[in-house]
Amino acid sequence: MASPLSLMMPVLPGTTLSSLLSTLTAAQPSIDKALATIGTVHYARFLLLDRSSPNLLPNLADENSPSETLIISVITNYDGDFDKYIFDFVAQLGGVFDALLAHVIGGDQLIPVANNVQAFLAFILANDASQQLPNKGSGYEAYPQTVQQILAAFT
Amino acid sequence: MSSPTIEYDDVQGLVLRGYRVDYARHFILRILNPTATGDFLLALLSGSGSLPTITSAARITPKPSSFLNVSFSSSGLRRMGLSEHELTTFDPSFYKGSTDPAVAQNIGDVGESAPEHWIGGLNNGDQVHLVLSLWVRDSLERVDSISSQLRAAFGSALHELHFHDANALPDSQVHFGYRDNISQPNIKGQPPGKHPAPDHQELVETGEFLLGYPNQSGGTYTVQPQELSRNSSYAAFRILEQDVKAFETLLETWAKQLNMDKEMVAAKICGRWRNGNPLVLSPEQQCPELPRSELNNFTYITGNSETDDTLGFKCPLGSHIRRNNPRNQAVVGTDANHHRILRRAMPYGTAYNPEAPDTEQRGLVGYFINASIQNQFEFLTKEWDLGSHFVKSAVGPQGSDQGNAVFNISGEDVFLGINHESKSCFTIPGPGKIGKGNRHVTGFGRTITTRGGIYCFFPSISGIKYLAHRAKDQT
Repeated sequence: MASPLSLMMPVLPGTTLSSLLSTLTAAQPSIDKALATIGTVHYARFLLLDRSSPNLLPNLADENSPSETLIISVITNYDGDFDKYIFDFVAQLGGVFDALLAHVIGGDQLIPVANNVQAFLAFILANDASQQLPNKGSGYEAYPQTVQQILAAFT
Repeated sequence: MSSPTIEYDDVQGLVLRGYRVDYARHFILRILNPTATGDFLLALLSGSGSLPTITSAARITPKPSSFLNVSFSSSGLRRMGLSEHELTTFDPSFYKGSTDPAVAQNIGDVGESAPEHWIGGLNNGDQVHLVLSLWVRDSLERVDSISSQLRAAFGSALHELHFHDANALPDSQVHFGYRDNISQPNIKGQPPGKHPAPDHQELVETGEFLLGYPNQSGGTYTVQPQELSRNSSYAAFRILEQDVKAFETLLETWAKQLNMDKEMVAAKICGRWRNGNPLVLSPEQQCPELPRSELNNFTYITGNSETDDTLGFKCPLGSHIRRNNPRNQAVVGTDANHHRILRRAMPYGTAYNPEAPDTEQRGLVGYFINASIQNQFEFLTKEWDLGSHFVKSAVGPQGSDQGNAVFNISGEDVFLGINHESKSCFTIPGPGKIGKGNRHVTGFGRTITTRGGIYCFFPSISGIKYLAHRAKDQT
């Protein structure tokens, strides 16, 4: 059974949408390569949200205006125990995590994540909507196989 | 990254050197009086009162005939005066301790192997504070005479809960008949001199075995107080009882089921023949023992149809050595180099004689050393020994018609797994799509039982002195 991650990270007040987009765009090639190497993540996406917007979606017309209300969200489904693989994720994506956390409230305490692994794990647990009530335990999966089993069946 | 310079005289010897000895005695101790324990440790550092001294990793000539090292559980460090806040900066599994139910469950210390059944008082983790280990080269008399000196010095400081003796068997054998201690990680900055047999693997970052140096994840493991945060390490001390009769019976059963020679079965389970030759280099028969320079000089993925073993036709993916060190095989997460351990263990008990069966307890006792119990010892036990989902999709040079690595492993490690008889499974890979060429053995049980475990912290030499003074300064 794959597990969901729905990480919600409030962004530091005064950050612009464009600076977040810029960080994510720069990180995307590393992220894709790292996730393929890690091999336990079925799907992963980032969502940039704005809790002041009526439908929570940010307004691109304001991308260069400092905002008080942005959120970076990371949505994945992954195999195995995330906490057991945390050191491997940090080894592969530590730099990306540090770049993102630089924009996040409370993030500066965790940088560099390679030296703050336990605190980083605690931060993820606290901010993962899927590990906290009322959302904990909810979710559908179409198949129980792991990423590697799927890849092997279709290679 | 270039190799750091390690202060060998500040590191406890067994972290960086394998002691070539015939005997070991491990004293499991409870601290009665922290001040007196502090005095005892200071005496061990200076060798006063003709006590043996704690061995560092510095080169000692002439070679000593005995070696001594000391480690602490988290309960022991608490007793020595470390604050709760300081203890929470240590490895989280070390902090909880081996007898914590979640820790035990995670690594398969369940059923007969559960802490409640452990011997020598090790079941009561709060009372296990120090492990003092003595290794001696060739004389049981010397073990006893040094033990007398140590025991006289325990005095009012320490209560001896248990002692566990180890003794080498001929040809570096362990009780299941295999030659052991062939492969160890090569660490950046390690002392020059005798190395384990060379292999293809990269040097491992120093920080995977010593706190205070860069590790493989791009960080450095540290603790508070800083006096304990450099040149120190952790280990899982384990007493593993081996049922030789049950293992030989298992081999005979499998040999019949698979129509395979019993020694080949033993090799498939381990990944090496009993004389130490790796299956990758000797796939069809044992062959005379290879020289040390070749015994470990192999890898699994070569891309060459003659030598490649991606699919495990030579060395099964579920074999013991391949699970515990996948070398250049693709695994989820990162790779083998991020989860290495150093093994310093020896047999205990006399060799089993099938002509005269007995119920003597025998097995393996010693340390599995790493700078992160969570990411090394526990990771490879849980992810690589207690399951089979860690293997990445991979085909050999001849393509997917021959199979895929993912389908060529099942169940748990035969030696270290829980192996409930209703669930146990071992795969012998054979060519065929989606594992169709594989054979399986099921219905086997556990032949190695955990009889004791302690998660230990090895302070540096200066760290031992610091701790001794912390203990004495407590009011």
